[in-house]
This record gives sequence, structure tokens and C-alpha cells, in this order.
Amino acid sequence: MSEEEAYQTVLATLKKEAIYPYTEDEMQVVKSIESCINCGLCIQHCPVVAAVGLDRFSGPRSIAVELSRSPPEYWTTADVVYLCTGCGTCREVCPKDVDIPEIVNLIRARIFKHRPDLMPKQLHTADAIIVEHGLAFVPWEDPEEKAESRDMRLERLGLRYIPDQVVKGADVLFYPGCQAEERAQEVKESAKIILNHFKVKFTLLEELNCCGLPATLLGDDKTALELALKLKKKVKDLGVKMLVTTCAGCTSNLARIAERDAWGIPVYHMLEYLVEEIGIAKLSSAFKQSTEEEPLRVTLHDPCHLIKHTSRITMDYAGQILGLIPGVEVTQSYAHDSCCGGGGLVSYHAGDVARAVMKENLAAIEETGATRVVTPCPLCTAQLEDSLFRQGSSVEVDDMTVFIAQRLPQEG
Amino acid sequence: MAKYDVIVIGGGSTGTAVARDCAMRGLKILLLERDDIASATTGACAGMISSGLKYMDEPNIVDMCSDEVVNFKRIARHVMEKNPIITPLLEMSDISSGGNFAEEYSKRAETRDVPPVLFLTPEDSLKIEPTLNPDLIASIYFEEYFISPFALCMLQALDAKQHGADIKTYCEVTDILTKKGSITGLQYFNRITDKMESAKTKAIVNAAGPWAHKIAALAGAKLELRLNKGAHVILDRRVVNVGVIAKAIEGRMIYLFPHENTVLLGTTALDTWEDPDTLVASQDEIEYLLKSMEWVIPSIRDARIIRTMEGVRPLIPTWKIPEGDVTRGYEIIDHEPEGVSGLISFTGGKLVMCRHMAETATDLVCKNLGMESECKTHNEPLPGNSDDVDILALAKEYGVSQHTVERMRARRGSETATILELTCDHPEWKTTICTCEPVIEAELRYAIRATFPQTLNDLRRRVRLGTGPCQGTFCTFKAAAILAEELELSGEDFQLEIVDFLAERWKGKRQSIRGEQIAQEELAQGIYACVGNLDQALEELDYDLKPWEEVL
Repeated sequence: MSEEEAYQTVLATLKKEAIYPYTEDEMQVVKSIESCINCGLCIQHCPVVAAVGLDRFSGPRSIAVELSRSPPEYWTTADVVYLCTGCGTCREVCPKDVDIPEIVNLIRARIFKHRPDLMPKQLHTADAIIVEHGLAFVPWEDPEEKAESRDMRLERLGLRYIPDQVVKGADVLFYPGCQAEERAQEVKESAKIILNHFKVKFTLLEELNCCGLPATLLGDDKTALELALKLKKKVKDLGVKMLVTTCAGCTSNLARIAERDAWGIPVYHMLEYLVEEIGIAKLSSAFKQSTEEEPLRVTLHDPCHLIKHTSRITMDYAGQILGLIPGVEVTQSYAHDSCCGGGGLVSYHAGDVARAVMKENLAAIEETGATRVVTPCPLCTAQLEDSLFRQGSSVEVDDMTVFIAQRLPQEG
Repeated sequence: MAKYDVIVIGGGSTGTAVARDCAMRGLKILLLERDDIASATTGACAGMISSGLKYMDEPNIVDMCSDEVVNFKRIARHVMEKNPIITPLLEMSDISSGGNFAEEYSKRAETRDVPPVLFLTPEDSLKIEPTLNPDLIASIYFEEYFISPFALCMLQALDAKQHGADIKTYCEVTDILTKKGSITGLQYFNRITDKMESAKTKAIVNAAGPWAHKIAALAGAKLELRLNKGAHVILDRRVVNVGVIAKAIEGRMIYLFPHENTVLLGTTALDTWEDPDTLVASQDEIEYLLKSMEWVIPSIRDARIIRTMEGVRPLIPTWKIPEGDVTRGYEIIDHEPEGVSGLISFTGGKLVMCRHMAETATDLVCKNLGMESECKTHNEPLPGNSDDVDILALAKEYGVSQHTVERMRARRGSETATILELTCDHPEWKTTICTCEPVIEAELRYAIRATFPQTLNDLRRRVRLGTGPCQGTFCTFKAAAILAEELELSGEDFQLEIVDFLAERWKGKRQSIRGEQIAQEELAQGIYACVGNLDQALEELDYDLKPWEEVL
């Protein structure tokens, strides 16, 4: 038997026995589970377990320990592993640094590759859109309709339109992400207003493509990698010094892939950029010139992709920035850092679970007495808006980038 | 006094196989086991239904092993799995017994539905097993079948029972009665009823493994064994994709085999005179295994060891040669020539041969009893081997997670549906009791009712309770409560069960404890001593520290 025939024979057995060898990278992730001492903290803190109970979602510990011990049984996890919202709370509370969210991604990737029949069909639809369009959502068919929708949003919010610009050699690449590009266009527009106000030399991409996070979350690693590499090329071609985004998910994922693929530039969330690069002093004087001074009681919602996947400091910045705005009073919700249920693509196929996870946030928001929730993520904004509306609440929700843009002095 | 055609002593793989064979041939059978089914030598083996790879110099044995693999695939496929195995070569001298092995193995491969021995390039080897030492020059690849030894013995015992045999655990033979050189019966102490009992028979099959010489002595017969200790180190999960074989420091072959959801690193081989009941793996054995495997899997020392497992091989007494050169065949000794008619004993053997050993012994028993009969054990399936199990459908129907159902299937085969059926009347029995495995309450209840466990340790052998990385930290209390309810144990016995089980876990943990397992142990002791207050309760309980619990 030739060397190649021998290898193919082995692969045939491995396939039959459902043994798909872990790669070295995967081994590192799996290795982290060895530290688990089964203390149960992750179960106590998991928002999905709290919302739907262990019988429906067996919880982070079970994913890390039970479901990973025997790799050939990976396929049996399909009824559990797609219910994780990927909030990262488990990893944050773990005293032994077990990387449970990565294990979830790893298992999902195996199912996607070898048993796609077991993946929720809504996720297949989502994947097809990403593969076809390079975006998380089907893009607008008619550019005029897209512009109309944008203008309506701007008018409602009292914001002016700044045309898109693509500038080679700009300092900052502003990356709105799929949600702000295709749906919450006001977030993209607000970011441009802010950057413009502070006279930042910024550029947009000629053509946006998804950062790859949704593809990673549904297990399509190949597409995720393709998108990441495509994006890297675009970033390199523009020659920018840094990247700023307004989406929490994009922030964490771009930071990860920029490091992995050696982009050589830092990735900032808009809030980090404002505090660290623009500076509190400039922000403060800008807000003082603002005409919008109606007293407002707000509460913050912390996006998981910032606090649990990137850094908690971003939300400290959020508090600092709100503190500079005249008339704004912040009341903290007891569930300010609890997952909104919108992560991990759970709402695509298990809306009931996503809504159950959100419930705690809603009660906590109502209790603050705030009339507005502010959060620095267009996806959390959408999820919160939808749930508050369903509940018949009068509390409004603003993406924090929009909230800031509205409170800068109107120019021109 | 109860009267039996044959009494089998020993509930390991051989004893249960003999009981099954005899019962299937219509003999009235009693099986006596001093502890639990598969609680000693068999329970400490790696479960390999070996094609005879280590014994290629004994072609008859290789033939027999190969045939037995085919038989097991017919009767017990639901508790079997196939492991691809790689032997990385760091230098040419790492090839163990020369080209003879590849040829002998490959000759019989097709009948077992495995490819012949293959040679893989270093690149392909590393793709299959990235943890291998990248300096390898080539690797040898072949495939072997594995079985859960606990499941095999239990299924053989249950099948014997279904064919009318009496299976009694916790019954220790204290005397064998003879009259004019012929067996007439025996006496035993029943630990469950706390009473001496006796039974009449003309034929006794001594399948007591490492205690076989002591049983023979009760009848005044002589039996010599070469007892040899083997220890395994158990890792928390499958840290390798496939089995790995390596040459140990003194040239023996050792292995790393995926086993259920763990990996077994083994084994040592030391001639021993220790008491098999209190044997523990030594620090030297653990280091010997780690050092030997480290050459081919450099990361092995970083893996999490959850415990050790050790047993005693009852080898055929061949002296002044290394353990590895002692035949792995078996012998059946009829003690008639030395004046004890009706007693036959086993020495030697391997797990894969247990059915064959039973067939030969049963043939002899039948001949001695003057009856004609035909062995059917290789054709009739063991319980649970009948239908394929549709995991997805069952999980959906009963609202139990797919993983739980799949693990149950691996332990129970087609009985899975019967167990899940229990949750219709008792939806609360869907609760997960052992979270490492996992095991739900329904399976525990079923195992208690259908497979006669007396202790939590017995339940461990039935359902793998407490065998995961937490080593009973979270299941012991819950499982003890269920056992106490089912067996109507007193409050004191309930506490004793917990302490006994934790003590048995400690036996395997103590020698190997290191790294994360120390943190795990802190938590376990915190729960049971500090919160459960069992360290205080001990003073009130009738509990003697086990030898391995003594404070140095």
C-alpha cells in the first residue's frame, strides 16, 4: 500500500469512528478545561441557565466538561451548544480561566463541518447570507431606498448627514459593522459626525465586509477566515494607523483577528477612542457647547462583547463620558452587565430562550426609573428595543454613539 | 440446602462467562463472588479485546484472539468501540518484535474488519495525532477493539441469570466440602445477610483470578500462580485522538488508550506478593509510565491525572523469565489427578479469551458430568445488543439531552429506551446525578433495581458514577440518597456508603495527586468534611480507616 493509500485508509476509519483529530490550536482551548475543578460558579452565573433552567440548557460546566471529554461524541451536543449566548460570563467568573466560549465555538465548528444536519436550520440560512454577501444581513437591493431609510432615521434623531468618504492614508478607519451599515444606519452616521467634529482624518471602506464573528459563532470557520483575510487586505491597502468601530461584537472580534493575523494596528471601540485618543478635556468642552440640555435619567447596559470579551474599562469610559454631559443623570441597573440574550445567534433559532435571558434586564431597567437605556452596541440596542417594546415599556433605547452625536454642538 | 449442577467461584470476566455458558446449556448454576461483579482484576484492565498483538510469537493464541474478537462483535457490539492505534518510531530500534508482528496481524485483519498494519509518514502521523513528538521517523498503525469490562461481566452475569443461574455477590467461600476425594458442596459467608450459608454441588469451577490458589487450598488442592501487578494512570479526558503505543524505559511496550471518556496510560508489570485487596499504584509506577510515554508524547506530563487503577494478573506460573515472556494463553487445571474430583481451576488468560475459556471449561464440566451439550455463547447476543438505538429520536421523545442518551447507550445498548421509559412516571428522574459522565437518576434507579448493586462502588461499575474529573465530588451525596431509598438503608449506613465511596476514590487519587487535582480534592474535602461534617460523623460510625487512608 502506498503512503497516500495508507493515510486515506486511516482517515476512513477515523471518519467512521467520528474521530476528527484536534488541531494544535484546538488542543490549547481544550487543554484549558483540564483546570476545571467543578466548582459550579459558571453555572451560578450563566444567564441562560438562570433564565431557562438546567434541563433546557445544561450550562457552561457541562459544555466544558461533559461535552468535551469524548470528542467522537461531539455531535450529541447539538441540542445544547446552540443555546449558549456566548456572553463570556462563565469565563469571567471561572477561577481557573477555562475558556468555555471558545469551546462552544470549537464544538459548533465540528458540527458545522461534520454533522451540518444537526445545526438549527435558521443558522444555515444565516450562513448562506454571509457566504453570498460577505455580510451578516442581506444588503439593501435599492441604494435609494437605503438612503431614504437613513435620512428618515437622521431626521427623527435630529442629526445631519455627512457623506461617506474613502481616503487613502487616513489616520482612522471607521468600521461600522453589518448592523450599523445595513440596519441601524444612524449609528454609522453618528460615528461620522463624532469623528468629523473632532477633526479626525478618517476613512470608510470602499466596500464593507463582515468581520466574521457570526460565521465563527455558527461554526463556519472557513468563511470566517476568508472574511478576516479579505478585511485585512482592505485595511492594509488603506494604510490607516488604527481602526475604530461602534459595534461591541466587531470590537472583540476585530481585536482578536487583528492580533492573530498580525494587522499591526490597534482596534478601538468608539468609546475607547474618544477617551484615550480624543481625551476627556476635548469631550468635556464639546458637550458644554451643546444646546441639548434637557435633564434625562439614563441607565447603561454593558455589552458582553466589550466587558467580557474585550475589557471592562470600556464601560468605565462610558460612565465617564455620560458624566460629562450636562443634564444627564446615570442610575445603575442591578443587571447592567447581564447578557441581553442577543448573542451567540441564539435569537435566530430559539427566540424564547433569548427573550427569557433578557427578562432580568428588563425588570432591572424598569426599577432604575430611567427613561432611557444607553448602550454602546447596535446589536444590544436592537435586542433591548425589541424587548422593551414587546413589554409595552415607555423606556427608550439609544446606541451610545448616537446619544453622544446628538449631544455635540450642531455645526455648519 | 440448595443444590446446583455447578458452582462458579469468582465474578470476573471468566467466572461470569462460565456461569453464562453453563446456564445456557441448561445446567443449574450458582455464581459466588466475594465482592462485586468485575471488582478486581477484570475491573482494572484496559478493556482491550486484543487481537493478540503482544503475543505474535504464539500463533495459536493469536488465532484464538482474532476469532474471539469476531465473536464479541457478534454478541456485544453495543458495549464495544474501535480504537485506531499509532506506534510512533523515534528510531528504528523502537520496532518491538520485528516484521513478524505486521505479518501475523495483517493475516487475520480482514476477518475482524480492520485494515492490515500500515506504515505512516511522520507528516501523516502528526496530522492524525498532533501531540506526537515531531522528531518521529515513521509510525506503525493498526486497529483494535475495546469493550467496557464492567459492562461485559455484568451482561454475562445478567444473561446467565436470565438462563436460570443464581448470581450472588458479597458471598465469600469459606470452605469447600469433599467426601472421599470428591466435591460435595461448599460453605460461604453471605455479607449481605451476615450469615453462613452452604450449597451442594459435585462440580466447582474456580475462576477466582489472583485468589484461585486460595480457593483451591480450601479443597486441599494445590495451585500455583505467578501474580503480577499492573497499574494504570487515568487522565481526565481523551487527550489523544487515537491510541498510542510506546517503548518503555526497559524495552517493554506501554500504551495510552482512549477509554470511554478518559485515557488510560498503562501498564506496569511487577511480580507481586501484595494483598490484591489493598494494592495501590506506587510513585515509581506512575513515574515509570510518565517517563516512558513522554518520549513519544512530550506533553503527557502536563495532562491532568485523575487517579490510578491497579490490579493483579493471575499468570500461568512460568518462572525465571520476564513477565512479558510468560504465555498469555490460559490453562484449565482439573484437580482430579491430585485427588480432588469435581474441582477445576483457571490460570492465565486475557480478557479477550474469557468466552473461549468458559467454553473449554464448560465442555470439561459437561464431560465430567457425563452430559452432551453444545456451546451457544458465541452466537447468542448479550442483553442490549439487539437493536440499533436512535439517539436523536429518544432524546426528543423523552426530553433528555442527546449527550445523556448517547452515554447511556454506550453503557446499556438497547435497554436505553427501557430506562428512559421510567421518566414518564417520574419526570424528576431526568435530574443529572453524576455531572461528569453524565448519569441521570432514572439510570441509577434502573441499575439498582436490575443489576443488584449493594454499594455506591457497585453503582460506579454499573454506570461510571464518580469516574470523571471531579471523582465523586458532586454525585456521591445525591447517589447515596437514592441508593439508601431504594435499598432502605439506615441513616448510619447512608453515611457509611458516602465515606466508603469517597475512601475508594481516595485510594486511586492519593498516589497520583498533583496539579489541578489537588484543588479539586480541596473542594471535595470541603464539601464532605466541612459542609457535610462527615469527618465528625466518622467517630460515631462503625468505620475503620482503609490501609491507604492511614496518615503517614
